[in-house]
Amino acid sequence: MTAVPGSGLGADSIEGSAPASEAHAGLASDAGLASGAGLAPRAWLVWSLAAVTVALCTDNPVYRGLVALVALNVLLTWLPPGRRLRPLAVAVTLAAALAALINLLAGHTGADVLARLPDALPLLGGPLTLESLAFGGAIGLGLVAALLSVAPLSLILEPHDVVDAMPAALERTGIAVATSLNLVSGFGRTFTEVRDAQRMRGWKPGGLRSWNEILVPVVLTAIEDSVLLAESMEARAFGAGRRTSYATASFGTREVVVVVAALAAAALFVGLRVAGVPMDWYPYPTLSLPPIQPLAVAGCLGLALPAFRLPAARERCR
Amino acid sequence: MMAPNGNAIARLDGLSYWYPNQDEPSLRAVDLEIEPGLTLVAGDSGGGKSTLLRLFNGLVPQFHGGRVSGRAEVAGLDPLRSPIPRLAQRVGLVFQDVETQSVYGSVAREIAFGLENLGVVRAEMRDRVDETMAALGIEGLADRRLSTLSGGERQRVALAAVLVLRPLLVALDEPTSQLDPAGAAAVLAACRRLAAEGRAVVVAEHRLETLGPAADRTLTVEGGRVAAGDAQGGAARGAARATPGYVPRAAARYAAWEMRGVATGPGREAVLADLSLAGGPGEVVALLGPNGSGKTTLLRTLAGLLPPLAGTVRRPAGRTAYLPQNPGALLHLPTVRAEVALTLRRTGSDQRPEAMLAAFGLDRLADRYPRDLSSGERQRAALAATLAGSPTLVLLDEPTRGMDAAARRSLAAAVRALTDRGSAVVLATHDTELAAELADRTIELRGGLATELRAGLATELRGGLP
Repeated sequence: MTAVPGSGLGADSIEGSAPASEAHAGLASDAGLASGAGLAPRAWLVWSLAAVTVALCTDNPVYRGLVALVALNVLLTWLPPGRRLRPLAVAVTLAAALAALINLLAGHTGADVLARLPDALPLLGGPLTLESLAFGGAIGLGLVAALLSVAPLSLILEPHDVVDAMPAALERTGIAVATSLNLVSGFGRTFTEVRDAQRMRGWKPGGLRSWNEILVPVVLTAIEDSVLLAESMEARAFGAGRRTSYATASFGTREVVVVVAALAAAALFVGLRVAGVPMDWYPYPTLSLPPIQPLAVAGCLGLALPAFRLPAARERCR
Repeated sequence: MMAPNGNAIARLDGLSYWYPNQDEPSLRAVDLEIEPGLTLVAGDSGGGKSTLLRLFNGLVPQFHGGRVSGRAEVAGLDPLRSPIPRLAQRVGLVFQDVETQSVYGSVAREIAFGLENLGVVRAEMRDRVDETMAALGIEGLADRRLSTLSGGERQRVALAAVLVLRPLLVALDEPTSQLDPAGAAAVLAACRRLAAEGRAVVVAEHRLETLGPAADRTLTVEGGRVAAGDAQGGAARGAARATPGYVPRAAARYAAWEMRGVATGPGREAVLADLSLAGGPGEVVALLGPNGSGKTTLLRTLAGLLPPLAGTVRRPAGRTAYLPQNPGALLHLPTVRAEVALTLRRTGSDQRPEAMLAAFGLDRLADRYPRDLSSGERQRAALAATLAGSPTLVLLDEPTRGMDAAARRSLAAAVRALTDRGSAVVLATHDTELAAELADRTIELRGGLATELRAGLATELRGGLP
């Protein structure tokens, strides 16, 4: 540490916002080991697809809520160190809130009127009802459940796991997905860098056009990075022919149990729908409780199997 | 034309190359033979070094298009016509920016990518990955995520990812430009080992002081022409850059900027703690330290872009200029001149863009689209755009990355002009030459702490920090 000479400072200063003790406590390091995805990538892919199928197969908030809770539980169980759930949580909350708000403002159907907007307002004018709000909430819950269901593919798995999860015929698609996931983190970093640099050149956020100064260089940089990545892939023989995989395909009992339960849940929901069993919820004209089928609840709970993490699952071969 | 040499791994014969829609060739009638050993490729930014390296593995012209004349043979194949995946088995290329060339997120998988593409069976793949990692001394990183590696580690992983294909010729484009001295030394050692194994290792570099003495031969690429140089030339040129007799200023009597008891870091995790630093007007403070030691974090905190977790930061009244690590990213206007003019207009300066353009040798590039420039030229354009408008505090993050000797001289002159007008300058760099040349005070960041190095370290710094 160096001595501070004299005074004579100018006007601009910033005060720290966190106590020193807390800041010291934050001095942490990430060992940086690859993620702890103890389940085979293909089992994760099947689980995610099954959970999304269940979430989108019905607009019953009970089932959707169950899927969302199960997916959240699975994510919390398997989230690798250094990865954060908060950005996703914020995004899904905002998406759900927006869906509920839009349905509340544009629905105008239902018996229980909460408030009324002037009829002169195009699209929005009319009664705001409890039923519209509730149905909007169910739509939002569906979004939350679907997003949380696919979140393991980016939060728990590494990009190469996504490649391994794809069937051989879709391997190139998997590579494209993996490289896209890699570019996403670079996109965020470039955005921060460009925004900071432009701010220091006097840029201030204003109307939509002012963001051109940030978005144009960020997009151009992303395109340049993509071209460089394509060059790098070609230079390492990408496209030479039939590929092999470095990963060992380890589909054990745990994977079989998870996949069977997930596929059973998806098949159950599709089957119940086809059989004409009431699976949906329609709260109009007056609010009612959603119908609940014990079999469907069991199917949702079956999706929770990955949340039961056995000690052996903490190990992961590279 | 050079006399044919039976030992040569690569041979170019009267080769010229034009990028698409360009009237001027980027390579002009190149006659060249590359033998086993370490070949250093020097030359100014935009001279054609990267194009030459891309020619070895066929990316030029096969990926980039354009026109070509002349003949070429690399490792027994014709890089102008042989499929790139086939060339990839004999020629490896490590690109300048290792962060944008990763496909996978973890070390072992990234290294294995090329083998997967060639359909190598799993057992052999594992053996070759292990063997390559061991050869480069990175076997302990196998299960690590790339994002957690230091710059030197990441560069060696990128090198391993091409070496695993067992190429006869390995080309590296400015491999040490983003590395601290320890990382650069590790990469240099790897290159020397490969050369000793009988491979041809071709390294394009501006940091000649590190690689020059180790090279078996030096080539200079200027304006698309390739000429032979001598292996020690790099070291001599590097030393000549320093300004003899440059006298550090006396300590300022008052601080232009100050950090008192600062803890700071991205998110809410402090990477620097209990930091008290200050710098006077007209003073240049250099921040040194390994990759990840917090240099960028300190600069961003001082710039006001990252609020400190604890403590106080004070800056002088007036404009603070900040050059980020990847300054080319901020360029978005149609010409270099327009970029400089934008900063001047925004800061209310009555300066004319021409003065800044001339200061950085950008006169002839003033009307070019910044993103069509080479990385070194782009760096200069970003510097001109950043430093325009008489800032009172100047923060530079790795300003010499990818810069040639002429551009570094322009930068040094610009920094001196700023300090003569009373601007305080803080620069974070791995370039110990630059720090020795410009800095009045040098601060090393390591393990979350800042230590002021004793004055008069210039000579020692040129040899690299321990």
